[in-house]
Amino acid sequence: MNKQSNAWDQISTFLYPVAFGALFVVLWQTGLLHRLLGADTFTLPLPGRIFTIIEENTPAIMGNVRATLTVALGGLALGSLIGYLLGVLAALFSKWGKGGLTLASAFNAIPIIAIAPILNNLTKDFSTDANIRSMFAKILVVTVTSMVAMSVNAYRGLTELKPFSLDLMRSCAASGRQIFFKLRVPNSVPFIFTALRVSVPGCIISALVSEYFAEYIVGVGRQIRENIVLAQYATAWAYIVVACAMGIALYAALLISERILLKGRG
Amino acid sequence: MQFARKLPKTDTGVDDGIEIRIENLSVRFPDKNSRATVDALTGINLDIRRGEFISLVGPSGCGKTTLLRTIADLQAPSEGTVTVRGRTPREMRLQKKFGIVFQSPVLYDWRTARRNVCMPMELMGLPRKQRTRTVSEMLDLVNLLGSGHKYPHQMSGGMQQRVGIARALATQPEILLMDEPFSALDEFTKEKLNEELLSIWSIAKKTVVFVTHNIAESVFLSDRVVVLSPHPGRVSAVVEIDLPRPRHLAVRDTPAFGALVSRVRNSFEGV
Repeated sequence: MNKQSNAWDQISTFLYPVAFGALFVVLWQTGLLHRLLGADTFTLPLPGRIFTIIEENTPAIMGNVRATLTVALGGLALGSLIGYLLGVLAALFSKWGKGGLTLASAFNAIPIIAIAPILNNLTKDFSTDANIRSMFAKILVVTVTSMVAMSVNAYRGLTELKPFSLDLMRSCAASGRQIFFKLRVPNSVPFIFTALRVSVPGCIISALVSEYFAEYIVGVGRQIRENIVLAQYATAWAYIVVACAMGIALYAALLISERILLKGRG
Repeated sequence: MQFARKLPKTDTGVDDGIEIRIENLSVRFPDKNSRATVDALTGINLDIRRGEFISLVGPSGCGKTTLLRTIADLQAPSEGTVTVRGRTPREMRLQKKFGIVFQSPVLYDWRTARRNVCMPMELMGLPRKQRTRTVSEMLDLVNLLGSGHKYPHQMSGGMQQRVGIARALATQPEILLMDEPFSALDEFTKEKLNEELLSIWSIAKKTVVFVTHNIAESVFLSDRVVVLSPHPGRVSAVVEIDLPRPRHLAVRDTPAFGALVSRVRNSFEGV
């Protein structure tokens, strides 16, 4: 009985939002939404039309998806790695570490819109190939934005230990190295996921925004902009839908891997 | 049992039967609110015999945990000395001669019961085969052989603390130090674990130093009860517990047990 209601709980947490979304699409497709908002089908095309465009332009869209994913995942990986190492440094030099991280989190307050053009400008001499130089600038934007969440959470994960766990290691005559790898690092794993829950959706957003300002015209975000400028709203909407799908897919992948990797921790 | 074969032997070659000698020990902490210091322990003199089960009992703030931590080299003395088998606590700690059970089980929640028990042996770099065998022996000793695959969150508080005891014994320490290990457990589980601990002790033949604030628990378990009084922390009495062994829970209903509990209770000063 209890197990059944539990299973229903799990299903319903998915079912309700999906049902709401379906209802929304139906309202949209039937034109009720347009009447409500006072919009026309030129600026807000019907879902059927958007999906036709996606279907017809799949190869071009996939090329742009690949470019955006490279930026988002490349920046996420680089930023998370640097962030974790910063957290390690802060944990090793605890006297300076905490203050340093507070300072670093000030980076979080800088809007992406502001740093994207700056980084773009700073890296203009990186390569003679506009594609490579743009890619580098875009990845750098995502790196900066995903670094801070990871460094702060990594520091917490490496230092917020259960009471007596350090005493236990000392009573076993553990070396500093052993304490680090057998206690602090595994202790930080759930905190890594806390950071990723912030920075995975964030990396898609910063990738899209960074493309707006990049020199080389490629990527889902850039296509949204280009098509709006050309008043091809239906195509712009197709890319918006694709961007949403990318964000949802990445977040789902994160939740699944978290489930698997943190299975035992309860 | 593997550890029962080992005969007690001193490193100094002279066997006077004393496992831990505490001489004129004082520990002071800086006070948080002023420049003064707080006397956690003053002028402690105590000899703990090899193989003895000894309890440190007293109210909060009497320094019983501090005394245990000083023996374990987790706290430095301000004055006086602690000698364990003629050696310093630090030497003994680095040779992994202490097994410690803390107030909370301190299990790593990313490790199963087996791998938690295994952890100190991994730190020592023991071969895998030996680790696996010892883990099974230890879990058997605390009656958890069937639960080795469980993660901490899948176990009750009593089970978790038993894993903690198995882990403390896994490195075959000479001395078992227990800091209020059962204080967070319910009365029924505590009584059961008290009885189990005595049977483990009778097999493993360790010297046990057991900190508690529960007088009945200390009388039930111990050969001697050391009564500590607070402000400043000091030994106010040492009560010999001459109840016959092996002891079972029924001993708690005897008049002799009641008389010993009263004796311990009446030994407190300034509480």
